[in-house]
Amino acid sequence: MASIMRPSLLRQSQTASQRVYSTFARQPSPLTQHLRPAFAPVPSTRIAAFHATQRQAILPALPQKITGTLNEPTVVPDPTPAHGSYHWSFERLVSAGLIPLTVAPFAAGSLNPVMDATLCALLVVHSHIGFEACIIDYFPKRRVPNLYKASMWALRLGTITLGVALYSFETNDIGVTELIAKLWNA
Amino acid sequence: MASTRLLARLATQRSAAAVRTPVFTRGFASVTDTTARNPAAKVAESIVPDPARKVVPDSETSNVKEPAPEKDSKLKTFHIYRWNPDEPSSKPKMQTYTLDLNKTGPMMLDALIRIKNESDPTLTFRRSCREGICGSCAMNIDGVNTLACLCRIPTDTTKESRIYPLPHMYVVKDLVADMTLFYKQYRSVKPYLQRSTPSPDGREYRQSKEDRKKLDGLYECILCACCSTSCPSYWWNQEEYLGPAVLLQSYRWLADSRDEKKAERQDALNNSMSLYRCHTILNCSRTCPKGLNPALAIAEIKKSMAFT
Repeated sequence: MASIMRPSLLRQSQTASQRVYSTFARQPSPLTQHLRPAFAPVPSTRIAAFHATQRQAILPALPQKITGTLNEPTVVPDPTPAHGSYHWSFERLVSAGLIPLTVAPFAAGSLNPVMDATLCALLVVHSHIGFEACIIDYFPKRRVPNLYKASMWALRLGTITLGVALYSFETNDIGVTELIAKLWNA
Repeated sequence: MASTRLLARLATQRSAAAVRTPVFTRGFASVTDTTARNPAAKVAESIVPDPARKVVPDSETSNVKEPAPEKDSKLKTFHIYRWNPDEPSSKPKMQTYTLDLNKTGPMMLDALIRIKNESDPTLTFRRSCREGICGSCAMNIDGVNTLACLCRIPTDTTKESRIYPLPHMYVVKDLVADMTLFYKQYRSVKPYLQRSTPSPDGREYRQSKEDRKKLDGLYECILCACCSTSCPSYWWNQEEYLGPAVLLQSYRWLADSRDEKKAERQDALNNSMSLYRCHTILNCSRTCPKGLNPALAIAEIKKSMAFT
């Protein structure tokens, strides 16, 4: 069965497409260049149909840029404890608080809606902080400001959706703890 | 006069009917976009079409053999990263050298010096003290950032050694990395004693033995940048995150009982990027050739700043 997914075929078709579409050697003759209307769009003929092996650098390193002279220190940002020490303390409290909350309902063997609600709220906050750290790390604001903003808003949207979903699950359905207990015994 | 100009205009007028040969047509500025989809390295090549110097082909430089191999020689192969800024159009490459371990000193730096002395004087690397106190010869040897002078050559000759410059640094030449940003960051933490009050007896600032003990494990850092360049967070956000080495130095001054600007030092770190990009990956403590623990120092800074 000659599946299109077979890698050897894929490679053949890829080289074929490269032969056809990505040739540099065949420049159009001056005559055709001249006859072409001035504002006709030039068909981009070098983009091959599909590349499986092309090197794709994600956020390739830019040329080095040093601000200031060699004997000046780097710029020290203004203190923002809300994103610094307060943020870190809060994050640690949430993380530490999650440990007993995950164990307690099963250790005690009783299901308390208040405890369930606390667990859900902390889970939402914890995941939000975690994903926020990922975005700050991987989509640096100085490099891809728009992507940074977009992903931050997507994260906020996702967090709100998660919060609403967990709220409705807690109020209208059995709740997270009960679900895990059921899955555990299933 | 006017008629001449008119005739000239008529002659050079661009008309669709007349097909002129390209020899007589005026050249228009155009973008022959032949490099748009190329990776950055290719673009760099096209920027410098005419290299300042002819590229030495691989066949002439690769696999430099031991000058005079003997019968019972222990030949070990070293692959070394080479890049020459004088040949900007040639890509970085791995060059292979073979050395007889019987004639080479025990450390990687000895091997490098021997290669430079005997087989390839163009090999470039930093070295100074050859005893692990200057921090010049920091490089990535067999996948670990370390000082070449403190790294023994593995005597197993079947295994080949690979030597690279410090990862994620801009390379100046071969194994020499550009440390400008690193030193600028070090300068930004003000690595010196800051006091406004004179000492009580007008003599030197003294501290108790216990206070002095707090600086052990901090003052030994030689700023070789092995830890910083092993930190993924530093790879990603070098421009803003200070990195383990500089944070260790920052803690060295935060922990000093004689320093009086503790609050200012903490404020300088109290933002999202400078300190808190540390995610306790702990590559720094693992790789430190001096056996220090930058991750512990960073954790101490975080602890001292928490809930304040």
